[in-house]
Amino acid sequence: MLAFISTLLIGITVGAIYSLMALSLVLVWRSTRVINFAQAGQAIFSTYVAYEVIQRTGNFILGMAAAVVVGALLGALVEVLLMRTLFKRIHSGAVAAVAPVIATLGLLGVIRASVGLIWGNDGHRFDAPVSTQAFSMGNTVIPFSRFNLLVIATAALVMIVFTVIFQKTSLGLSLRASAFAPEIARLSGIRVGSIRTIGWAFAGATGAVAGVLISPNDSLTPNSLDLLLIFGFVSAVIGGLDSLIGAVVGGLVLGIGKALILAYLGSSLDYPTAFVVLAIVLIVRPGGIFSMKRGRNA
Amino acid sequence: MLKKFFANGVRTRFIGTIACGWFLLLAADRVDPLRVYQGGIVAIYVIAIASVILLTGYSGQVSLGQGAFMAIGGFSAALSSKYWHLPFFLTLIVAVLAGALAGALLGGGAARLSGPYLAGITLALAIGLPNLANQFSFLGGEQGLDYSVGDPPLRFGMDFTTDKWFFWITGLAALITLWWTQNILMSRYGRTWRALRSNPAAAQLAGIHVGRVKVLAFTLSAGLAGLAGALLSMTLFYALPSAFPLSLSFALVTGAVLAGVTHLLGSMLGAIVLVAIPAYAELLANKLGGAERVIANLPGLMISTLLILAVLFTPNGPGEQWRTFKEKKGKKDRQTR
Repeated sequence: MLAFISTLLIGITVGAIYSLMALSLVLVWRSTRVINFAQAGQAIFSTYVAYEVIQRTGNFILGMAAAVVVGALLGALVEVLLMRTLFKRIHSGAVAAVAPVIATLGLLGVIRASVGLIWGNDGHRFDAPVSTQAFSMGNTVIPFSRFNLLVIATAALVMIVFTVIFQKTSLGLSLRASAFAPEIARLSGIRVGSIRTIGWAFAGATGAVAGVLISPNDSLTPNSLDLLLIFGFVSAVIGGLDSLIGAVVGGLVLGIGKALILAYLGSSLDYPTAFVVLAIVLIVRPGGIFSMKRGRNA
Repeated sequence: MLKKFFANGVRTRFIGTIACGWFLLLAADRVDPLRVYQGGIVAIYVIAIASVILLTGYSGQVSLGQGAFMAIGGFSAALSSKYWHLPFFLTLIVAVLAGALAGALLGGGAARLSGPYLAGITLALAIGLPNLANQFSFLGGEQGLDYSVGDPPLRFGMDFTTDKWFFWITGLAALITLWWTQNILMSRYGRTWRALRSNPAAAQLAGIHVGRVKVLAFTLSAGLAGLAGALLSMTLFYALPSAFPLSLSFALVTGAVLAGVTHLLGSMLGAIVLVAIPAYAELLANKLGGAERVIANLPGLMISTLLILAVLFTPNGPGEQWRTFKEKKGKKDRQTR
């Protein structure tokens, strides 16, 4: 029983990080209808900034703050410089449908190579701010550490902040309105373009938090967030790409599912499971587990 | 008489292919060995980029997993040569069939998916498959599997190098691929794909079975990628998981976009650029002091930058740009007159 509970706790920890990545993908998808594959790049850059700040000052909170700021700035920059140019230039033709995907991939490559140029391809040790030693109760060891607790708390904090912003502020209302119906939002006097930039900045910041939280268990390299991107994408798809709550639930489902498989079936099935889950969800319920029946659009 | 003979497109393309073959054959004797080796790699990229063009340019589906299909081709060829002791030529056919089968399986699920979903699932495949190969011992782990075509036949003479032999094989394969793909694209199927790409609803109304046609494109494209993977393994002497990294899939998309995703012959341009950039990047990196991190990352930086610039400024390929430029100029000339 104890083993089961601790597996669940580990799953929730990992799932919380997936949820954050999924949130950042969903935020961009809602406003721009683009899957931002460069999110992994933006997050790894922010994580390296956090690493640098922590190395210099020894303060984890300062590092996290730096990552959030840099992530947000980078997200806004990508929207203004790349996405606006892209949508201005490309309206039709064979590439129109695939151009955003290709552009964000190119950006992922550029950021990753730049990170490699600045910090090198070798792995960096990214120390956790608090102990990663497992708690123990008497003689039994629960593989759950203070750091796991910190991860869950941070993720919960981010989600609460998002809930407040989206539900209680006028900015949140504008964000929701321009995602739901950009034309009507514009008619009602919302500056949809600027709101979209803010959405990308939020997404960048969330991705940065996810990157900083997942790195202490692993060595930091320019492509160490690739798997996070994939798992985040799977979580977002499980939740149906359009729903913020769906992204959180999707991340937790995937995290817990992975932890259970890891505990009871062995580690080699870890990655294939995510792929199979993705395939099944996409084939059975392409709109996510919360989707309702919708009209056909093709 | 001659005009009538060339009026048949299939025949023209056949003659063109043969002529290209002769040209390459003669050229291989007259350039230095490094160029011959690079020519072989270019030929492999031509096949792989042709597979992307068929899929993305014609049927309008994005696959970021062509590298994974190449890996499937490479490993199945190596496995079939190791366990069934098939002759080399047959292992290539096994590679094509294995790639096509994988493509059909994935395409069967993916035919209902559009843009970003498809990109995501193929991206997952491209990241995951090499990991998988590392975990199963019959795939040889990180060392990979032996896979070799053997020495060139003795009747070509003693100074006939392995590189030249590779170049002959890959060049022939690339020519046959281009010829076959061009014929397919000009056929009924190519027309259906174009119709589907420009307007799925209208295509469906015209009686096209959308799902079936998309799966067919996926299957054929993955088969070509499988062939390219087997040939790549041949030049490396091993089927290696590390030979098919994510960056390979990205590079192929870059090559296709550079060429203009709807121009099959552009695949040659894309392939040459993909081979030339790492070479020049290395020169440049050495000039910049030759630090390890620069050498390792400059090619990726240049290829990715090129991809972004290409998709922003010449989304339909340099050929298209040139045509619109000429059209504009023609209009202006007429106006001034």
